[in-house]
Amino acid sequence: METIIKVTDLCKSYIVDKRQNNVLKNVNLEIEEGEMVAVMGPSGSGKSTLLYAVSGMDRATGGEILFRGRDITRLNQTELAGLRLEEMGFIFQQMYMLKNLTILDNIILPAMQREDNRESRAAIVKRGQDIMRKLDIIEIADNDINEVSGGQLQRACICRSLINHPKIIFADEPTGALNRSSSDEVMEELLRINASGTTIMMVTHDVKVAARCQRVIYLVDGNIKGDYELGHMTSGDQLRDRERAVNNWLMEMGW
Amino acid sequence: MKFFDEDNRVVDSVEPGRAYVTSDFLKRNHLSVGDQLTIQHNSVNVTLTIAGRLKDAMFGSTFMGNVRILMSAEDFAGFQEDEVIRQYYRGQICYIDTDNPKALSSQMGDVEGIAFDGPASMIRMCYVMDMVIAGVLIVVSICLILVSFVVLKFTITFTLQEEFREIGVMKAIGIKNRRIRSIYLIKYLALAIVGAGIGLAGSIPFANMLLKSVSENMVLGSDNTVWLNVISVCVVVLVIVGYAYRCTGKLKKYAPMDAIRSGQTGERFRKKSIYRLGRSHLKPSGYMAVNDVLSSPKRYLTIVLAFSICAMLVFILVNTTETMKSDRLAYTFGKVSDAYYTDVNASMKNMHGEGHAVMEQKLDELEDILAENGMPAKASVEAWYKYKVSFGDVEYKITCMQGIRTRITDYVYSKGTVPRNAHEIAITEQIADKIGAGIGDTVQITIGDVTDSYMITAYFQSMNQMGEVIRIHEEVPTDLRDCSGLMSFQFDFTDHPSQREIDRRVEEMKRIFDSDTVFNAAEYSVDCIGVVGMMESVGFLLLGITLLVVILVSILMERSFISDEKNEIAILKAVGFRDACIIGWHVKRMLLVSLVAVAIAVALAVPMTKLCVTPIFGMMGLKHLQYEINPWKVCLIYPGIILGATVITTYLTARYTKKINPSDTASIE
Repeated sequence: METIIKVTDLCKSYIVDKRQNNVLKNVNLEIEEGEMVAVMGPSGSGKSTLLYAVSGMDRATGGEILFRGRDITRLNQTELAGLRLEEMGFIFQQMYMLKNLTILDNIILPAMQREDNRESRAAIVKRGQDIMRKLDIIEIADNDINEVSGGQLQRACICRSLINHPKIIFADEPTGALNRSSSDEVMEELLRINASGTTIMMVTHDVKVAARCQRVIYLVDGNIKGDYELGHMTSGDQLRDRERAVNNWLMEMGW
Repeated sequence: MKFFDEDNRVVDSVEPGRAYVTSDFLKRNHLSVGDQLTIQHNSVNVTLTIAGRLKDAMFGSTFMGNVRILMSAEDFAGFQEDEVIRQYYRGQICYIDTDNPKALSSQMGDVEGIAFDGPASMIRMCYVMDMVIAGVLIVVSICLILVSFVVLKFTITFTLQEEFREIGVMKAIGIKNRRIRSIYLIKYLALAIVGAGIGLAGSIPFANMLLKSVSENMVLGSDNTVWLNVISVCVVVLVIVGYAYRCTGKLKKYAPMDAIRSGQTGERFRKKSIYRLGRSHLKPSGYMAVNDVLSSPKRYLTIVLAFSICAMLVFILVNTTETMKSDRLAYTFGKVSDAYYTDVNASMKNMHGEGHAVMEQKLDELEDILAENGMPAKASVEAWYKYKVSFGDVEYKITCMQGIRTRITDYVYSKGTVPRNAHEIAITEQIADKIGAGIGDTVQITIGDVTDSYMITAYFQSMNQMGEVIRIHEEVPTDLRDCSGLMSFQFDFTDHPSQREIDRRVEEMKRIFDSDTVFNAAEYSVDCIGVVGMMESVGFLLLGITLLVVILVSILMERSFISDEKNEIAILKAVGFRDACIIGWHVKRMLLVSLVAVAIAVALAVPMTKLCVTPIFGMMGLKHLQYEINPWKVCLIYPGIILGATVITTYLTARYTKKINPSDTASIE
């Protein structure tokens, strides 16, 4: 497998009240293509900052981030935007969408924005509907964003993240605002997407969610304290054992 | 009788060799204080130094054909000594106090030698255009006040929405609504006091600028102005605080739970999107702009209202000025000709018993001069006479107009049949109202010693004498001794040249006659109306105010949109939308809204011009008129300027979206 992301000596600092706050301190990380990686850690450990820096949403203060061999720290904002549009997908804790657009229009909007897209509008609409059908939310295609449940909305956000065939999906606590059943549904979808070959890097506080990933990274004070290989989950029966294993490992890490 | 100089000081005396004239006189003749003024008539030749500007309400208006030159008794005596001047040109101005001006005017019908008479209200009417300009500025001010209140409401509502958490927390810890409200009221009171103070300071030079044209002719102002301004400022502050009190009533609705529930209010029941991306042929930024406006049009109502009202006022003024500048109104000043030449001296020389013969000779001379210069033309002139006109019990001295070398059929009539013989006349609707006679009625007119009957066969429109004129047939025997005024010499070229050639000939005639007062039909109208320049200046001022409103509203609204849509912008950036696309979305949206506003203004410009301006022209004697609409200006140039200002302002303000990072999605509430 090829390395999709390689992070070397990544640093991120903020200046607050003239004092430098080092959020990430020389982080080194590699993620292989097709992996599903969970990033865990206590609040303020730098999980989201790492996700945003690696995805090019935030500028690193130092270090190198190679995405498919390309150093994204050297790209300008326009190039980064193009990269995010064409090769990355994003899912956030808050299922935020444009309020004046229907669910389907929100999903297909990034595809319409692609400048190299030679697909007809009808084909894009059809693709958007197909993705919605796969995620079992086709019935809400014409709904407004305030007419659907949180679980449906998060699945719609997943659809939006998939519309441009991303190489990697970055998810920041995708189940954080959902109840247990919705959370399970969303995780099932993410597992399916990962199974189809898409890499996923996900920040989570939830051990159940992390247990479904192949690898868990534990971050403390801006440093990777532990990296736990769980491997592929072959059946649902393994979930309880994986949860227990992750829990034990996290306890060792000081969770 | 007191005269005042430009500093409102009483002019008690004028030194010999010096003179005071009106500001309008100086402007028209490109003179300034200190210049030499030579008055030459018959045997008299007096050179005076202009000592200052005279405030002259009666003759200071651009509508008044005559001028007043205030000079010393010694200098005036020089004119008195000339026999011709004493006999034909000397006159007096009588001011009469009466409680029944109508009866007085009727009685004056019997008095000989009155060149002009009119009630004091007519003097006020001479300032109708100044009143129009003042009216326009009042309307603009009202619009600005309305816009300010809408923006204020928007700002308060927006602030409350932004601060829902603080309000919720304050309520949660037991602070009463009244207390929370007072925090906001104190804030707006402080802002209102600062704003009103700045406004008060700024109003002094601005008011002086606005009053400049009127204060040149009249002594204005009072000792109480400062106090009035201070009281007005206090009223403004109170109104703003009262309005803020009303707007902050909304915070009662915020419950302590809002602080915990992230203030999710209202948004849930937003109207469904009606414009689908899949069916759109626009780029995403264009689509989002159109969809936003279609989905929540109410949100953009403030912009549409503010831009429409301001743009409409500009268009109304443009239409009015264009009409005044065109040759559409030329017929209201007499026969429409190719060229006009104003020579007051030559006209005055002919106002005597032998005048007709001398005038014919003068017209022949003018025709010969033009023919020698390759401009074959027929010359004519129109004479005004003050004759006693009676109908039933009423009797007035009314100006009767008769053309010399013109036919009564050469003029334009609005209703009835053109007079066919010497016993038929045409009158204006103003005269019809004044004397109570209409088409088909017969009036008595006394010309010289002969009183005869004349049948009214037609109505016509005239801006001469505020419309109070009668047109008599060319065959009616008149005597230039009774003449109260002669209009400009008019020329109709017999070789039917193009307008461009006419304009060239007008320039050539200026050289031949060594005079600036040679005009084509449109220029003649402008000269007769006299206020077109001022109207154009006010038009530019109005455009400036409109642009100010457009810029202010665009900045305020765009900043509030950015603040409101911060989360959406962050999400769009996160999923790969570039800054240019997001700025494009905002600019296109504002452009679309302004386009709608300007389109409304363009559509309503003509009916609103008719509604607002026709009554003003009616006061000047023109009740029915067709406006000159310049499509380039009304549909392209001025809308383009407004839209351009909107786009540039929105673009510059929307650049602020660059500061929103994709990573701000982490802080979405």
